[in-house]
Amino acid sequence: MSRKLVKPLSYSSLIIFLFLIPLFVTSPYYLHIFIMAGIGIILACSLRLIFNSGQFSMAHGGMMSIGAYTSALLMIKLGLSIWAAMGAGAAAAAVLALLVGYPLVRLKGIYFALGTVFLEEIIKLIAQQWTDLTGGVLGLTSIPKPNPIVIPGLLNINFASKVDFYYLALVLVLFTLLILYAIERSSINQTFCSIKQSDSLAQSVGVNTAKFKVLAFTVGCFFAGLAGAFYGQFMTVVTPSAFGFVYTVYIIVYMVVGGERKFYGPIIGAVILTFLPESVRVLKEYQPYVFAGVLMLVIFFLPEGLVSLPQRLKMFIRERRTHA
Amino acid sequence: MDSAVLLQSLVNGLMAGCIYILVAVGLALLLSVMGIVQLAHGEIYMLGGYLTYYFCSIAGLHYLLALLIATLLIGGVGILMEKVFFRPFRHGDLSPTVILSLGLMLMLQTTSVVSFGASTKVLTTPFPGVINVAGISLSNERLILILISIVFVAGLFLQKTEIGRTMRAVSQDMDAALLLGISVDRVSSFAMFLGCALAAVAGGLMGAIFSLSPFMGGFALMKGIAVIVLGGMGSIIGAVIGGLIIGLIDGIVPPLLSVEMASTIGFIVIILILLFRPQGIMGQPSK
Repeated sequence: MSRKLVKPLSYSSLIIFLFLIPLFVTSPYYLHIFIMAGIGIILACSLRLIFNSGQFSMAHGGMMSIGAYTSALLMIKLGLSIWAAMGAGAAAAAVLALLVGYPLVRLKGIYFALGTVFLEEIIKLIAQQWTDLTGGVLGLTSIPKPNPIVIPGLLNINFASKVDFYYLALVLVLFTLLILYAIERSSINQTFCSIKQSDSLAQSVGVNTAKFKVLAFTVGCFFAGLAGAFYGQFMTVVTPSAFGFVYTVYIIVYMVVGGERKFYGPIIGAVILTFLPESVRVLKEYQPYVFAGVLMLVIFFLPEGLVSLPQRLKMFIRERRTHA
Repeated sequence: MDSAVLLQSLVNGLMAGCIYILVAVGLALLLSVMGIVQLAHGEIYMLGGYLTYYFCSIAGLHYLLALLIATLLIGGVGILMEKVFFRPFRHGDLSPTVILSLGLMLMLQTTSVVSFGASTKVLTTPFPGVINVAGISLSNERLILILISIVFVAGLFLQKTEIGRTMRAVSQDMDAALLLGISVDRVSSFAMFLGCALAAVAGGLMGAIFSLSPFMGGFALMKGIAVIVLGGMGSIIGAVIGGLIIGLIDGIVPPLLSVEMASTIGFIVIILILLFRPQGIMGQPSK
């Protein structure tokens, strides 16, 4: 087998394996965690895109709310189908990001980060205030089930079980990763990286930094909106506090613990940090300790995230050998 | 709105402003001296409130003595935190420090839920009674709270001490300060002590007026961040001005509209000011 084929083959077998998971994992509880990990992957990877352009955004939870509320309201009030509603939810988040992006990118570094914190708080407060539309603090509760997909004689997905949602989540994750990977390999990513390294240097060689920053912010927020719209569908409830400041910080933690330098870093972070706290579910109130413990260990001992672990181990072993 | 309600809400605003200033000054100190965004600052504030509560209710100390002991203890905790956690990340990248302080925030919050219980606690008011000024009744405890905060904040301005100058030197250029023989470690410890102590004072004062809960830190953190962003990072005068603006909005808007509207208006004001002055009211333009 030529080396060229190894990567595509291993990726496609991984994807096939992921599609087969519901055959082995039948417990709705575990499927629920798988789906939550999927949502985490979409969020952490899209946030990485924004970070790669040198912007520390903390508005991801807020953008998720926008997506969730938009799609839920379109389905409840206008009776739109799930596909149109999810698309509209994601688009709403992207449009908002585009509108606030231009004023926000005037802020640099930590000011941008804090500006996005306020944006998120404003979104949350509006969702709490506008009771007529959003249902206030209690949120929207009667989100209808997705319309069934029926291909006569072949397929009947009616979204009655978590398995169907698992497949929907899987398709959304693959779609997100495909687009983000295409961006990662394109020349736009080079521009983003140059802005991240030195904003003013990139500007001095003629890069329209504001435009590219807003582009990264908008695309990143589009996927946050998509994840939010899916989350609303899946949980059938959207509340203003569901995606608050703490939720945003969890997304950032997924990304940094996994390692934001590599494309697959946030994926690893989201998966591990979704499953690990669940494994100590018996300890319930002590669960945050596990989460906090992992991220402290990573910050102190693996500053480049979990993805740098194999390389670290390799270096450690080599050092041992040379000394021995 | 008649004048009595107006005056009452002004006092409330002033009180809120004082609490915000105490929290924000600590955040501003840590940000300028160590270059760290301390997300666990709200939890320090919460711990200050709980310690004061326990010293009052279990040890039976007088409120002011309890507040003083809690302040010093939390300051000590701050020194410890700086030594163990923050020292390696001084003036480093933004994301590790955010993650680190988030980890601390989770740990402190969980610890207090486990040890203090998730239900709210109420400190019996140490200064009962009201004063009537020109037909308007103002409660004693609120006035004393304002007085205590003014004393603490004024203390920061009155001292043009050696340590104050070294702190400013470190915040301007850490390497140059090191070259001049300033012990950056000592300065950082002191900044952390002061910042945590001030947050503990705010928590102790707040606990005497409202109730205590393990989750009260998030609100204080959000307000503290709002104040330092509005005032300009690393500027204590800016924190005072920002704190008063946010506090007055939070005092005057609720009787007219609602508490949530006050927060919304506050954040919108900040974003508008930032659009025209990205470095905040008193901040220096970034290099």
